[in-house]
Amino acid sequence: MAPILEIRSVVKRFGGVAAVSGVSLSLEPGRIYGLIGPNGSGKTTLFNCITGVDQADEGEIIFKGRRIDGLKPHRIFHLGMGRTFQVIRVFPELTALENLLVVTTAGYEEARRRAEELLALVKLERLAGEFAGNLSYGQQKLVEFIRVLMTDPEMILLDEPAAGVNRTLLNELLDAVRRLRDQGKTVLLVEHDMKVVMGLCETVFVLDHGEKLAEGAPGVIQADERVIEAYFGR
Amino acid sequence: MKRWFPAALLVLAVGLALYPLQATGYGVRVMLQLFMWIALAQSWNLISGLTGYVSFGHVVFFGTGAYASSILIVTLGWAWPLACLGGGVVAAVLAFLIGWPCLRLKGPYFAIATLGLNEVMRVVASYYEGLTGGGNGLSLPTLHASVEIYYAMGLVAAAVTAVTYVIVTSRFGLRLMTIREDEVAAEAMGIDTLRYKLYAFLLSAAAPGIVGGLSARDQGYIEPLSVFPLIMTITMIVMALFGGKGTIWGPVLGAALLFAFQEVVWARFIYLHQLLFGAIIVGVVLLMPRGILGVLQQKYNLPRTI
Repeated sequence: MAPILEIRSVVKRFGGVAAVSGVSLSLEPGRIYGLIGPNGSGKTTLFNCITGVDQADEGEIIFKGRRIDGLKPHRIFHLGMGRTFQVIRVFPELTALENLLVVTTAGYEEARRRAEELLALVKLERLAGEFAGNLSYGQQKLVEFIRVLMTDPEMILLDEPAAGVNRTLLNELLDAVRRLRDQGKTVLLVEHDMKVVMGLCETVFVLDHGEKLAEGAPGVIQADERVIEAYFGR
Repeated sequence: MKRWFPAALLVLAVGLALYPLQATGYGVRVMLQLFMWIALAQSWNLISGLTGYVSFGHVVFFGTGAYASSILIVTLGWAWPLACLGGGVVAAVLAFLIGWPCLRLKGPYFAIATLGLNEVMRVVASYYEGLTGGGNGLSLPTLHASVEIYYAMGLVAAAVTAVTYVIVTSRFGLRLMTIREDEVAAEAMGIDTLRYKLYAFLLSAAAPGIVGGLSARDQGYIEPLSVFPLIMTITMIVMALFGGKGTIWGPVLGAALLFAFQEVVWARFIYLHQLLFGAIIVGVVLLMPRGILGVLQQKYNLPRTI
């Protein structure tokens, strides 16, 4: 099948440091991908390049057959790519409901119905009118997750969705991600919790020092000597 | 909103509409200036209270409107109401020209850019003597229209407040607030932040332009130093902060309280007045950065529509 997202030799430097140096990935639609690697390996920078928050210095990023490197983040979002952030970025002085409403350009009634559905999905309907900044860490994480779903994007990038979320909530979140996959969405997630990565992802990419170290099924990756070395040292 | 509130507003509006019938000329002039400050503080609130982009040269739109309207009156012979609207249009066009590049700047850099713009426009007004009269200023034909200008100022103040209400209660307004809350996230969530900031900046420039024209018409004489004073920007910012930035009625309340304070204290102690005004600025920033309504809002969990 034709890839939905293709990253070709992307390089991103900050001063003299190449945070991402020549990474190429290809993602097929309807699958869940994991992106792992030690701290500082370039995962979040790669996310930022894909979503337009950072501009890649070299290379091409192709989404649905169209080059998106160089586009502004809001344009990329409206092409059907949503993301969450590693550090929570809800709008604290907007209510949970308003956090969702601002995202979509759909009519108000339709937007409100969708927002209420999504809040119910993560059992936050009773907190709809509360300022997002007053919610707990895990609840804010959920608001950020469902905010991405407001526009029904084809591709979803999740930056550490499991961090700080309790087990029960986490399982619901993971179920939600699987359901998205079953609807044909493509998911790429950065995660440090290996249990989550191994249980959820069909293909895992490993980054180290800004380069792709390995790629494959979770089981294969776990046994890969180079990956173990990157994480634990020789 | 509480039932009694619209009724109280209506009573207030009728009272203010009837006021010139029995007031002295001085009284009318005082109220006219209050309306002017409400319009200015509320306009500043539209860009800076909602998007968090602090315009530190907002008086530039007042001065530009004053000059544009005066020139339209003096050289083209326009009727003053039309000329003042023209001043608003010119101010909005200036906001577009300056906002397009400068609204890409973040935080303090935008504030500094707007501050610089005000200085530039003041110099421009001094330099093009043929049109502006340069440092000698520009005299308008004599006209006694304080009562008409009172109503015009009142309408502008009411209109900006109404616009603020409409914006704050709409998704457009919420999107402006997302820029204040977290611009990176807003952009990543599909909000064209530059466009939204530009809309807010245009809206926030129009009323000061009109008000500048009205004020020039009322004074009958303008010069660069009198219509581009930095202190005016500071005053409108303090008024909006004192009442509560980002709220609908905060700038109105702040303008009314500080203006009344100035009127009462100024007449008696000129130097003490400046000292006290400075003390209020420090007090607001240190003790209640959210302003009166902001504090009440937080304490009593009031809706955003105050």
